[in-house]
Amino acid sequence: MTSRPLRFALLAGGLALTLGMTACGLDAPKDSGSSAGAAGSGTLTIYTARDKGLATDVVADFEKANPAYAGKVQVLTLGAQEALERIKAEKANPQGDIWWGGTQQQMQQAASEQVLAAAPKSVIDAVPAAQRDPEGLWVGEMKLAEVIFYNKDMLSADQAPKDWDDLIDPALKGKIAIRDVLASGTMRSIFASMIDRKFDAAGSPDAGYEWLKKLDANTKVYAANPTDLYLRITRQEAAVTAWNLQDVMLQIQNQKAPYTPVVPASGAPMLIDGVAKIKNGPSSAGADAFLSFLLGQDEQTKLAEKYFQIPTVTLAKEPAWLADLNLKEMKVNWARVNKSEPEWSKYWAANIKGQNKS
Amino acid sequence: MDGGTVSVAAAKVRKRSALTSSDRFVYLLAGPLVLVLLVYLVVPMLATATTSAQGGGSAYKGFFNGSSATALGLSVGISLASVLTTGVLGTALAVLLSRFDFPGRKVLRLFALLPMALPPLIGAVSFYFLYAESGILPRFLAQYLGADAAAVSANGVWGVLLVHTMTMYPYFYLAVTAALAGSDASMEEAALNLGASRFRMWRNVLLPMLTPALVSGTLLTFMVSMASFTAPQFYNVQTLTMQIVASRTSGAYDVAAAQAVVLSVVSICFLLAMRWYENRRIHRGSSKGTPQSVKVLHGALPRTAAGLGSLLLVLFLMAPPATIALLSFTVDGSWTTQILPPEYTVENFARIFTDPVTLRPILVSAQMAFVAMIGCVLVGVLAAWVVTRWKGPGKALLDVMVMLPWALPGTVIGVNIVTAFASPTPFNLGQVLIGSLWILPVAYFVRFLPLVFRSANASLAQIDPSVEEAARSLGAGPWRALRTVTVPLMSRGIIAGALMAFIQGFGEYVASVVVYPARYAPLSVEIYNRIYSNEFGTAAAYGTLQMVLILLVLALSQRLETPRRAKKPRDDTRGDSAVALTPVLAPTLNPIHETGDKNEHANEPVNAAPRP
Repeated sequence: MTSRPLRFALLAGGLALTLGMTACGLDAPKDSGSSAGAAGSGTLTIYTARDKGLATDVVADFEKANPAYAGKVQVLTLGAQEALERIKAEKANPQGDIWWGGTQQQMQQAASEQVLAAAPKSVIDAVPAAQRDPEGLWVGEMKLAEVIFYNKDMLSADQAPKDWDDLIDPALKGKIAIRDVLASGTMRSIFASMIDRKFDAAGSPDAGYEWLKKLDANTKVYAANPTDLYLRITRQEAAVTAWNLQDVMLQIQNQKAPYTPVVPASGAPMLIDGVAKIKNGPSSAGADAFLSFLLGQDEQTKLAEKYFQIPTVTLAKEPAWLADLNLKEMKVNWARVNKSEPEWSKYWAANIKGQNKS
Repeated sequence: MDGGTVSVAAAKVRKRSALTSSDRFVYLLAGPLVLVLLVYLVVPMLATATTSAQGGGSAYKGFFNGSSATALGLSVGISLASVLTTGVLGTALAVLLSRFDFPGRKVLRLFALLPMALPPLIGAVSFYFLYAESGILPRFLAQYLGADAAAVSANGVWGVLLVHTMTMYPYFYLAVTAALAGSDASMEEAALNLGASRFRMWRNVLLPMLTPALVSGTLLTFMVSMASFTAPQFYNVQTLTMQIVASRTSGAYDVAAAQAVVLSVVSICFLLAMRWYENRRIHRGSSKGTPQSVKVLHGALPRTAAGLGSLLLVLFLMAPPATIALLSFTVDGSWTTQILPPEYTVENFARIFTDPVTLRPILVSAQMAFVAMIGCVLVGVLAAWVVTRWKGPGKALLDVMVMLPWALPGTVIGVNIVTAFASPTPFNLGQVLIGSLWILPVAYFVRFLPLVFRSANASLAQIDPSVEEAARSLGAGPWRALRTVTVPLMSRGIIAGALMAFIQGFGEYVASVVVYPARYAPLSVEIYNRIYSNEFGTAAAYGTLQMVLILLVLALSQRLETPRRAKKPRDDTRGDSAVALTPVLAPTLNPIHETGDKNEHANEPVNAAPRP
């Protein structure tokens, strides 16, 4: 008769462990949480794909500026794609109020699935029409400049590429890492911009494909995710890559990463990163208050200065780091890109990726 | 309900003589079971099929002429290869640790399950730090042996196989260990006494006995390899799961759903094929005898060899967890071109322990995984029992129902669960789970039920129903027979499955991130946040804490499993309550390697068995 006591002991032990942990862990925060829940519609829930530190910082500022929401803001961090899928799945009974951080394409998808509601009019008016949904179902919060960056311990400034076309120079063969394209909205947009850049002259995407073939020949490795990309550059597996400026600047500032960003001479494609109000969320008023606060001058100025963000709203004063960079925007026909990108990416995956090693 | 009279009456009235009271008990239990499976598993997962059919089937059109077909082929190939490598490693390890005693055995037994506890996101990173071109091993080989770092690094399909082998062999290891513990030494002795060579004894006695365990391991490994995404993404191998993510990223949800449906259909076909294979033979013994005693290795040479071998094995198995531990003491960003990190710190742990909020995710994960594990055990054991004892058609369907979620990628499961429990509908019995704490255990339950089910199923396949029938003929009701005879006999399989379910639930990420309620971020989401901000040190510190906790659970369960060993050198009381039956049953060893119909056996007069 060993076994029953055995399993009993297992269960009891596990249960004791659980209860013990409940007692000392989960309860305390739960109390404060449930008191917030008791306030009902007062609680504001934000789904964000932005960096947690940045989000926490902004929420703290928001609570300070709107004491009515102090302690009542909940932030859920998840990837942009997961946020989109979650909001779509919760359509019948929305749990979130704000979706903060997603590409233009993702935001547009959500808008056409009718899971988003229009932002307050003041917010819509503050953002230029090109950087938001016509009806304000989502608005661009910042512009992501897609640039080249390299490991300064591996290349000197002279050897480093200056423009996009330098990336296909045979001298860089085996020195380039690229974030896995198909699973990344950002990389898809960068590659589509490269095709679009050559589209008008050729009248077809073929010239762009040729360019991407040469890039593929120079590419040493496709990194699984942004972190993997940083690792491979920092640990000197590859020297050069393309990624968005804000992340690069934050890596340099927070992690002392040995990176140097290069704004390509022919310009950087600017992607829009958006924020949206979720339709029928629990706290509509809270969502409006947050959007107005987030896109207000004060917070955007702070984000621009502290977090290297390029705002969509016009700031009274451009941050110093941005003025120094001489950032030039690349002309991209976004209507064409948004329409053809899936087809181009598919072609790239089937006919270009990994096939130019010779 | 009590058997005897009712069954006789029913048989007389309805002339259904084949239906005994045990059978009716099976059908009675099947009712609520099927309901649970329908509500939580089948109906939510059907959402994928409906999405895929939205365009009138157009999503399937491009499948077989496009790159998806190639990707499917690659997925199947990788999965089959993974089954082979994990099967060899897991089975060898189980036999080694169950049958032989050598220096280092205890340590190896404890650490054998740890690779399964690798935190999902940081786990992939540990493989990068170990085996990628700039990893520890290739750099070490390059510096001291002059090898080309790029050539010795794990890449492509080989990398995927490496990761799969390392993280999935416990499916075999645990199942085979449980099966070996449940086997009867006297059968091996009988075979040897009858003049069989050791090799022949293994081939004709032990291996057939292990078939259910091997089938269980094969199924779990094959299906989870099919649905695996992290490893293929890390090594850039275009499997079908990669295509699913690509389709989702480009917004083609119907195509993604169609690809997921094809993926699960292939997995389910494999499941049915394995069922067919397993059912060709019956692999059970009716005795619950004493398992083979552990063979102590004597002599300096074998002991040293075994000790050295197990040390190497421990090193190999422990390398990824150890890398995470190493990372947790590393200053972020300092480790660039060196073989090992140049600077160390305890700052990462200090940061976790000084901020009370940061410990919360660990508690959330531990408790949610535990609750889910209880649910998995209750439903999984019942399902295994019903599937095994069910007569007539429909058992394969029940099996497929339980295993369905195992064949789908985690994100798909998360999205399906949120959709299914977003608002009250007749299909979810009016339950709204989103936004509530319960959705996390439900998600873990759905994802990891197959682990307990398969493991319990494998144990059950070893047990002859006549043991249960003996209990019934001695006057026990069906419930009592199940509770006091069958379940204790299955206990090893159940514990093995429960451990797997708990460990995997503890670190689950892909479904959690879609379902987790505000205020209850599980550990994996917190690790994701740290990795996303490139704070490897803190992420690894969390990962290390997770592994230490799981190691504690493993050590605890191992102690509990062998409580008497310290008191009695020969652990002849290791059995269960069924040991009381053994003296009666033991002399009538059924041939363990019967062929033919199961029912033939069930129809035997019950009281014919115990004949001293």
